[in-house]
Amino acid sequence: MSEETKALESLIGEDYKYGFTTDVEYEDFPKGISKDIIRELSSRKDEPEWMLEFRLKSYHAWLEMEEPEWFNATYTKPDFENLLYYSAPKNRPSLDSLDDVDPNIRETYNKLGIPLEEQKMLAGVAVDAVFDSVSIFTSFKEKLAEAGVIFCSISEAIKEYPHLVKKYLGSVIPARDNYYAALNSAVFSDGSFCYIPKNTICPMELSTYFRINNMESGQFERTLIIAEEGASVSYLEGCTAPMYDENQLHAAVVELVAMDHAEIKYSTIQNWYSGDENGKGGIYNFVTKRGICKGNHSKISWTQLETGSAVTLKYPSVILQGDHSIGEFYSVAVTTKKQQADTGTKMIHLGKNTRSTIISKGISAGESNNSYRGEVKIGKKAIGSKNYSVCDSMLIGQTCGAHTFPYISSENASSSVEHEATTSRVGEEQIFYLMQRGISEQNAISMIINGFVKDVLKELPLEFAVEANKLLDVKLEGSVG
Amino acid sequence: MSKVSTKELIHTYVQLPSVYRENFEELRLQAKESLENTVFPTKKDEEWRFTDLKSITANKFESVKSGILQVSLELNKYHLPEAMNSRLVFINGNFSPIHSSVEGMPDGVIVSNLNNFSEHEQLRSHLGAITNYEDDVFVPLNDVNFQDGTFIYVPKQTFIEQPIHILNVFTDLENPYFVTPRVLFVGEMYSKATIIEEHIGLSNNVYLNIPVNEFRLYSGAHVHHARIQRDSKNASHISRPVAMLDAHAEYHSYTICLGAKLFRNEPRVIQNEEEVDFTVDGLVLIDGEQIADTHSVMDHRFSHGNSHQLHKVVVNDQAHSIFNGKIFVAKDAQKIDSFQENRNLLISDTGKVNTKPQLEIFADDVRCSHGATIGQLQDEEVFYLQSRGLTEQKSRELLVYAFALESVESMAVKSVEELLLKEVIAYTNRD
Repeated sequence: MSEETKALESLIGEDYKYGFTTDVEYEDFPKGISKDIIRELSSRKDEPEWMLEFRLKSYHAWLEMEEPEWFNATYTKPDFENLLYYSAPKNRPSLDSLDDVDPNIRETYNKLGIPLEEQKMLAGVAVDAVFDSVSIFTSFKEKLAEAGVIFCSISEAIKEYPHLVKKYLGSVIPARDNYYAALNSAVFSDGSFCYIPKNTICPMELSTYFRINNMESGQFERTLIIAEEGASVSYLEGCTAPMYDENQLHAAVVELVAMDHAEIKYSTIQNWYSGDENGKGGIYNFVTKRGICKGNHSKISWTQLETGSAVTLKYPSVILQGDHSIGEFYSVAVTTKKQQADTGTKMIHLGKNTRSTIISKGISAGESNNSYRGEVKIGKKAIGSKNYSVCDSMLIGQTCGAHTFPYISSENASSSVEHEATTSRVGEEQIFYLMQRGISEQNAISMIINGFVKDVLKELPLEFAVEANKLLDVKLEGSVG
Repeated sequence: MSKVSTKELIHTYVQLPSVYRENFEELRLQAKESLENTVFPTKKDEEWRFTDLKSITANKFESVKSGILQVSLELNKYHLPEAMNSRLVFINGNFSPIHSSVEGMPDGVIVSNLNNFSEHEQLRSHLGAITNYEDDVFVPLNDVNFQDGTFIYVPKQTFIEQPIHILNVFTDLENPYFVTPRVLFVGEMYSKATIIEEHIGLSNNVYLNIPVNEFRLYSGAHVHHARIQRDSKNASHISRPVAMLDAHAEYHSYTICLGAKLFRNEPRVIQNEEEVDFTVDGLVLIDGEQIADTHSVMDHRFSHGNSHQLHKVVVNDQAHSIFNGKIFVAKDAQKIDSFQENRNLLISDTGKVNTKPQLEIFADDVRCSHGATIGQLQDEEVFYLQSRGLTEQKSRELLVYAFALESVESMAVKSVEELLLKEVIAYTNRD
């Protein structure tokens, strides 16, 4: 392994502390969870009464539930009494210029091709006047407002658009849905709210906006996106840059609602801190994501690139309720070192002539374990429905594992379900063929891996697809060959 | 769901005549202990979540008293011409010497009922050695209760030409009863045998059939094993066939499911050394309110293994098919080529199919794949046949027949193939 690779490896795997670990000033708020804490949290956020009720109800549901254990992962359960459920906005200490940032970090940024100004934001450097995030923020906001799109934090939406939030919050993922969703519903900190009115095509990829403005999402994030009849939106969460967070548990909830002919595309790039070589530390990423195709001819598409976190448990799902609705799931999950990922999707076909496609690519290296867990369910009334699933796994090295657990069921005779899965390694012949043509081994492997995941990455918004490829290279550097 | 008759089943141990109890006492005591520590499965268990066990839990099953043999029973029509002198017959789980016939076996070969050889060294060392299903009640139930069974021993480099026919028939008794057939097969180095294991219900009676098969194949041993389940449509059948293979061994098993109200089959093949080849095929043809459930495990523990599974299912009426096929590849078990295919044909709107092919791979240089489909007949195919003058009904029947045919053609014994073809036609013809 070259010096450079070593430096990078340690960087990606471990040393996020430069520029990230900051003396965060918390307001005086007690640890632990109780009714009083939730009341306090709600009142500090200045929430209306109905919101507090929602939280308290969820809290009761949570108390009655048991922490699930069916995942193909082992980890120390989080101590819920020792968590801090409310933190005031954090103050990052500003560095004067990028020169103060750790050179290793800068190198990664360069490798990932992150624009200079964004590098500054990520590293916590004070942004200069030319690149004023506030002005960009304002111009975005104006553009969106012109189209009638509402895009704001969920806390703001609770105050400004209570009728919308009240109607849809918890409608796709009820508080009782699962243990972590219940916890999130009780204590969620903040998140995004997005409403696209009838026959409106969101004038920009919300990704661009998101990338600059949503750096501090908190550990219990809540997202709600509603696309009215004929509306369409593309949304991207996360960032290719390595993210460090001192909160170990992340239990986000994302709800999508698509009406007649509406289309929602939700993309995720997740690169949380994944723990050190021995699997110490690292984020638990226990996310509940679900969309409902409520209207006829609606479409929801999930695309995800999961490379970080020590433990990832995540199953973005689509309920295909409207006739002729479409659900899609494209996923690349990469695990290295001691990471554990148990991820996949659910496609629940209820309406007539509904279609779903699942393409999942898992790459395991190091001592990691990577599982695909999915469910395709075709109900009695979902006549003429079709599903097509492919889940391929690639193993790199002899100490990792790849697993597939697809649940498939059909209850009517006019639908069809096709599922295929393969597990294999990077072929020696393939590497040989490329090397023969003068390509180095490392590059050959990276080409093969890029080819392996191409079907999924092409679903990402363009600028992210490029970064995603680079992220994969950096992530797997040194683990192949 | 009411908590179940397991307890009553357990206590039958005490009722076993002492002559049986003393045989294999250690195995039985161990099983009894494990039964006391495990609970009867319910839908809450992951492995049973789709399987409705009502047909078992709604009944109380008695053990069948041994020694009452129906001598008058006419079983000629179930005889296989190829196995006229290599047949073991069990009536309600009891060995019936008059119906059985074993002659002209090569030197050293044992084809017999278990009790006849209960002191045999090979039998004592192999019985119960590879049947360790986790948290299971059915193997222990068999361990505790079996009164007799089949013992087949094939010495080194010995070929048994004729297929061995193990015929289990179930007659009508006054009350629901349970039986625990048992097969132990030991194939020494480079031996070869063909086994036809059949379960036939003679009337529409209610019984619980819990067979346990153990196939221990040493280096280079070769076995073709056909299992034909034609139980009564009111019976429940929970089967546990296990095979363990040493280097160069080959084991090809084909399970045909036609009968039983509830059929649960859990075949397991364990690769115990390098370089083995095995097949775990299945054909399920169900209708009415039948439930057919296959939970298979292909367990590659060492390098260089080939395995293949084709599980075909046709579901009609309100029937329900469940499939869970696991392929395990252990760490360092490199160069494994494993393929699994589950094809389901759902031809009624009230039927149901659940399938879960599962890969758990811990080695990198392998090729493992699985495919699962649930679908119906293609309109184009039906149209094609109709354009040749067949009625729509006949076209559909022909297509279902063709779908099932592939599995039947793998049978090594001619008369079995013919028998199954008849069964397939009887299933597909709906006039």
